[in-house]
Amino acid sequence: MNEVLLTADKLTKFFASSKTERFCLWHDIDIEISEGESMAICGESGSGKSTLLFALGGLEDVDSGTICFCNQMIYRHSNPHISGISYIFQHYYLIEELSVLENLLIPVRVMGKKVDACVKNWAHCLLLELGLEKFSYQLPKTLSGGERQRVAIGRAFMMNPRLILADEPTGSLDEQTSLRIAQMFFSICQKFKTSFILVTHNENFAMQTNKYYRLEQGELKRCK
Amino acid sequence: MWTLKLALHYLFPKGRVGTFFTWISIVGIALGVMVLTIVLSIMNGFDKTIHNKLIQINGQIKILSSSIVEDCTQWMHTLENFEGVSHVTPFVQGIALVQHGDHVQFPRCLGVDEKTVQTVLPLNSFVCSGDIADLSRGIFLTKGLAQTLNVNVGDTLDIYSPLSLEAIKRDEVLLPQELPIVGIFETEWAEVDKNTLLCSLETLQDLYGLDKGVHGFSLSAKTGTSIQQLCLKLNAHLPKSLRAYTWMELDADFLYILKLEKAMSFFVLLFVILVACFSISSGLMSSVVRKTREIALLRIWGARRWQIAALFCWQAAFLSSIGILLGFMGGVGVLHYRNCVIRCLTGLIFPKDFLWNFYSFSNLPVAYAWQDFALVGSLTFIIALLAATIPALKASFSWVTRSLRSE
Repeated sequence: MNEVLLTADKLTKFFASSKTERFCLWHDIDIEISEGESMAICGESGSGKSTLLFALGGLEDVDSGTICFCNQMIYRHSNPHISGISYIFQHYYLIEELSVLENLLIPVRVMGKKVDACVKNWAHCLLLELGLEKFSYQLPKTLSGGERQRVAIGRAFMMNPRLILADEPTGSLDEQTSLRIAQMFFSICQKFKTSFILVTHNENFAMQTNKYYRLEQGELKRCK
Repeated sequence: MWTLKLALHYLFPKGRVGTFFTWISIVGIALGVMVLTIVLSIMNGFDKTIHNKLIQINGQIKILSSSIVEDCTQWMHTLENFEGVSHVTPFVQGIALVQHGDHVQFPRCLGVDEKTVQTVLPLNSFVCSGDIADLSRGIFLTKGLAQTLNVNVGDTLDIYSPLSLEAIKRDEVLLPQELPIVGIFETEWAEVDKNTLLCSLETLQDLYGLDKGVHGFSLSAKTGTSIQQLCLKLNAHLPKSLRAYTWMELDADFLYILKLEKAMSFFVLLFVILVACFSISSGLMSSVVRKTREIALLRIWGARRWQIAALFCWQAAFLSSIGILLGFMGGVGVLHYRNCVIRCLTGLIFPKDFLWNFYSFSNLPVAYAWQDFALVGSLTFIIALLAATIPALKASFSWVTRSLRSE
């Protein structure tokens, strides 16, 4: 049996709509994801999917409940970095001043690790895998949306994460490109046995994961 | 040092020689530093020229007496043998009435000993025509005084001493001394050049009825001797009626004004740098707002708050360093061609002798002081860093989750 990577137990989140009023965004949410497993969370806009994803990564506070990643409790604290978790966002968030290769290497540099030949080889491998090898030394502004998202995916894999939290990674791409990027993402995750939690509006993508949930009226309902 | 590298990439993105913000910030700092360098160096130049001129005109040390010094020769001997004193020359000074035709003036008269004066005051270097050795035969006039009286070498002047007034009180008439003009001199110090008459010690002693008495002595110190220390020692040995003054003490007010002018110029021009640094601050602030998501990502990857702050402080440090360097280079470059620039400007706007008439200089003097460069450079750097702290703090305390939300 695969090792359990992340567990969330009875997570509840309130939002303050004014100084006196609070409303419950979601409550009593239980999640478990094991090594190599994939999970999708669907739901309408404003249902709290992204907030839940950020909470699972320790970027957002919860009002009650506990989250454990690799048997360690996750608290929201001053340093939002959790080793072993990577993110992919809808809007790529690439550093425009850096080349594609440098965008892949920057997380390594920030973590204080040495960028040696081995790290550079790994970056080139990822670029090759994502079909971006020829763009290595180009600036992100010269790339299309799909290519940029592929760079963002490559960047997420640079640190060999155990879990990727993807917040609508194909949200700003056209249908065809979305499909291609999603397939690429799924296959790379499978290849490197990386777990992921995907927040998406696209039910077709969600259906391809091991666990498919819908977040409706503050409750997480399992669909698959 | 990823912060250093990323800061450089922000300022000089790949494939570009810098962003608009980068160059406008550098130009702002460079202009401020350049203006400060130019003004301070010219001020130093004026200071140095004025100091040299004051020493040339007054001597390094002047001993003034509250009464007439009768035993001049004995004092000369005593002072010459004083430790640290190189040369001594006596002088007599006062006002007289001079007349040439219809022209009358009241010049400041200086009687010097033509045998010893050159050892203390470089009078020969001021001479336009004539020879100082001829002082025993007549008088020297400054160029300005000669022009006012409309006289030249070879003409004669009638000189009335204050003794004439005493004679009038006694219903007597004291005839003026008729002295030939044997030379013209110019010190390039407007105050002296406008209205000074130079004559031999004996001539002025005679005019003032001093017999062998003098009003004081000018001294030069031996090389390596501290003028202030020598002056203190002299005052400790001299009787109360005699007091030694350094050239700095004699013109203390004037020198204080020079210092004050320099300090005020520095203070006023520092605002140029302040404005440039505020523009860096505002540019960095807009960069922080534009890059909130990148900052959030850096935080997720493990960047500490201080590293995020450092990322923006580095940018200010780079901008100010390049600006300071270019400012110094620009300042020195402009100063190198200052006289061409001044000639063009004064030729266009002012009369030819404008600078000489108002500032006693025909060329702008310049002196570079490393202390000024260090002060301007370090102050600019510090102000730029301080200006960067506000955007740096905003960046380091930005809210990661809010920045990354796409909805």
